[in-house]
Amino acid sequence: MPPRPTLSQARAKLRELGYLESRVERFVFRRALQGIAALLLPVVFVGALAVSLAETASVAASQFRYGESPRAVAVLFAHLFLAAVLPSAVFAALLLFAAGRSGRPGRGAAAFGLLASAGVLFLWTFGTLRLGPEAAAAALVWGIPVSLVALLFGATARATFLARAFAESGRLPERPRRAILLLAVAGAFSVAAVLFATRREPAHPAPPLPARRGEAVLVIGIDGLALDSPCARDEPIARRLSGSSIGWWETHPASPAEIWTDLATGVPAARHGVRALEWVRPLGVPPLRPPAGASWYLRGLGLAVGTVSRAPVSAWERRSLAFWEVAASAGLPALAVGWWASGPWPGAAIVENRDVLAQSANGIDADSVAIREFERRFEGQSVAALYLPGADILRGDPRARAAALARLAPFLDRWIARARSGEVALVLLAADSHPSVGSHGRMVVFDRGTVPAAGIRSIRPVDVAPSVLARAGIPVARDLPGGAIAALFRPGSLDTTAVATYGERVAPAATARPETDREYLEKLKSLGYLN
Amino acid sequence: MRAKPAGPLAVAVAVEYVHAASLVLDDLPSMDNAVRRRGRAAIHLAYGVATAELAAVTLLSRAFEIVARESAIAADVRTRISGELAAAIGASGCCGGQAADLAADPASVVLDELEAIHSRKTGALFVAAVRGGALAGKASEATLEALTLYARNLGLAFQITDDVLDVQGDPERLGKDTRRDGHRANFATLLGVDSSRALVTELLDTATASLSPFRQRGVVLADVAGYVRDRRS
Repeated sequence: MPPRPTLSQARAKLRELGYLESRVERFVFRRALQGIAALLLPVVFVGALAVSLAETASVAASQFRYGESPRAVAVLFAHLFLAAVLPSAVFAALLLFAAGRSGRPGRGAAAFGLLASAGVLFLWTFGTLRLGPEAAAAALVWGIPVSLVALLFGATARATFLARAFAESGRLPERPRRAILLLAVAGAFSVAAVLFATRREPAHPAPPLPARRGEAVLVIGIDGLALDSPCARDEPIARRLSGSSIGWWETHPASPAEIWTDLATGVPAARHGVRALEWVRPLGVPPLRPPAGASWYLRGLGLAVGTVSRAPVSAWERRSLAFWEVAASAGLPALAVGWWASGPWPGAAIVENRDVLAQSANGIDADSVAIREFERRFEGQSVAALYLPGADILRGDPRARAAALARLAPFLDRWIARARSGEVALVLLAADSHPSVGSHGRMVVFDRGTVPAAGIRSIRPVDVAPSVLARAGIPVARDLPGGAIAALFRPGSLDTTAVATYGERVAPAATARPETDREYLEKLKSLGYLN
Repeated sequence: MRAKPAGPLAVAVAVEYVHAASLVLDDLPSMDNAVRRRGRAAIHLAYGVATAELAAVTLLSRAFEIVARESAIAADVRTRISGELAAAIGASGCCGGQAADLAADPASVVLDELEAIHSRKTGALFVAAVRGGALAGKASEATLEALTLYARNLGLAFQITDDVLDVQGDPERLGKDTRRDGHRANFATLLGVDSSRALVTELLDTATASLSPFRQRGVVLADVAGYVRDRRS
C-alpha cells in the first residue's frame, strides 16, 4: 500500500494537475501572454490616434480659418496620424522596457498612464496657444475628443504596463490607481479651459473707417541697412537718413518676413502670424505651421518622402491688416510693392514680393524692379509702400552691396525732395534681419515742416504702422499695441481720432498661388534667403 | 451573458437530466449497488434494473433533445454545447471515470489516479454545466477559460466533500447510503479527513478567485461555491 501523501504533497500534486491556481491574472492579462506585439500594437495605435488628434486640434483651433474646412482637417489628421506612429512606437517600447523591470507595477503603470494622458493634453494646449489666438470656444470644443482620447491613451498605457510587468515577473499592482487618470485629465482640461478663456478674443470686423485725404504717404523700406553698425558711417546713403526726424528701435534676429510684417501691421508676430519664409504643405491641405510634436515629420520625413511640400511665405497666413490694406479699406488708393507676405487686396494695387524677385537675378535687380514697378503705379495713390531687398540680398558681397545702395541714392534724393516740398510725406524704414549686437532699426520721416534731427527718439517697431496710418488721415485702432508718434511728423498732420479695431484680415478667396510656389522657393534659395 | 434566459436554462435542464441519469446508473447493482437515493429507494429497487437502465438512457437522450431543439441558442453553439456535453458523459467524462473507478484498487490508488477518476466522473459534468451555460450566453473564449478554472476546482472540491461525507456523514441527512465508497478509491481515506477538508477549502477559494474578473456578475456562481463549502448533506 503506498504511503499516505501529506497535505503539502497533495497540494503540490493538485497544482501540478492544474488545480488550486485561479490563474485569474492570466485571464486579466491574457494579452500580455500572447507576446510583445499584442501589447505593443494597441499602445502604438491609440498613441498615434491621440497625438494626431491633439495636433490636429491645435492646428484647426488656432491657425487662421483652418477649422472651417472639414476636408482639410481630415487630411491633416491622416498626415499627422502617420507621423505619430513612430513616436508612439518609441513610447510603447520605453513603456515595455520599464514595465519589464518594474519593482512596483502599480506606481509605474500610473506614472506611464499619466505621462501618456498629459503628453496628449500638453500637445493640444501648448500647440493651440503657440500656434495662434483664435476663439476659446473653438479650442474647447476640440478639447472634448482630445480629453477622451487622452484618457483612452492613458488607460491603454497603464493596462499595458501592468500586463507587461505581470508577464515578466508575475507581479501584480499593489492597488488600483485608475481614478488618478480621470482626475488628471479633468484637471488638465480645466487648466486648458482657463488658458483659452483668457486669450484675446479675435477682433470683429471693423465698420467702414473714416479717412480724410491729404498728402500721399510713402513708406520706403530698405532691408539690410543697420545704421549703427561699425561700418555705418561708410554707408553711401547714411547721410541721407540722418537729416530729419528719426525714430529708432533695437532690432533682433528674425526672418525678414517677420520683421517687415511687424512694421507693416503694427502688431508682433504672435498676432500677425508671419514668422518664417517657409511653411509646410502636407499633401492635400493648405499650408500650415507645424504643430507641436510634428515638426520632425512635416519638416523632415514628410519632405523626404514627398508627402509634404514646402510653401513659401504669403499673405495667406497673415491675420492682421497691413497699413496699405487698412488704407484701401478706408477708401484711400493704396499701393504696396515687393513687401513680404503681401497679397491681393480690394482697392489696393499690389506687386507681391514673389513677383519682384521673379524678375530679379540679384539684389541690384530686385531693387531696380521694385522701384520700376513702384514708380509705374505711384501716381494717384494716397498710401504707398515700397520694399527694397537689395542690400539684404547682397550682404555677403560688400562691393555689390555698396553699388546697390549707391544706385538707391538718386531715387531717395528724388523722393526726399518731393517730401521736403510738401508733395508727399516720406517715411524711410531701415532695418536689418541679421543685425549685429546693439544695432537699431530706424524710421526716418521727411515731412514738410519737420525740424531736422530734432525728433530723435526711441520708438517700437509696432509704432510704425499706426504712425503711417494716422499721417494718412486714418484713425488708429485702439487694439494695436503701438501708437502714432506725432513728434516725428509735421505738427498737426496726424489724425488723432481712434477706432476700436481694424478687425482680422479676411483674405479674398484666391490669395494662395501654389502654381508659383516652387519657382518662388527656388528664387528665395538662389538669393540666399533659404538654405 | 445577455442572451435570452431560455438558452442557458435549456442547458441547465439538459445537464440536470444527464446528472439524474448518472445517478441512476451509479446506483445499479453492477456499480455502487446503492439502496437509497435522495431519501428514497433507488430506482432499480423500486422499478427494476431494466426500467432503471431504460430511464437513464431516456434521460440522456432527452437532454440532447432539449439542447438540439432550443432555438434561443445559435445552431453552431448548440452543436458545440452538445459536443461538450457528450464528451462529459463519454470515455473522457463520467463513463470513463466510472470505469476507472471500478477497475481501481483502493488499496494501491495514488493521488494522480484518484484525480483522474474524479475529474472525469464528477468534474467533467461540472465543467460541461458551466461552459454550456456560458456558451449559451455567448461568452468569449477568455470568459470560458476563467469559468472552466472555476468549474474544475469546484468539481473536485465537491467530490472530495462527497468523499468526506461518505466517511463521516449522516445517512439520514444525506439521503443515501454512506461508507459504501469504502471499497472504492476515496480522497478521505487516501489523505485523511482533515487534509481533505483543508484541500476543499483551498479549492473553493481558488474557484471563487477565478470569478474575480466578473465582479458582481459572478455572485451566483460564488454562492454555489459557498454551498459546497457549507455542505453537510
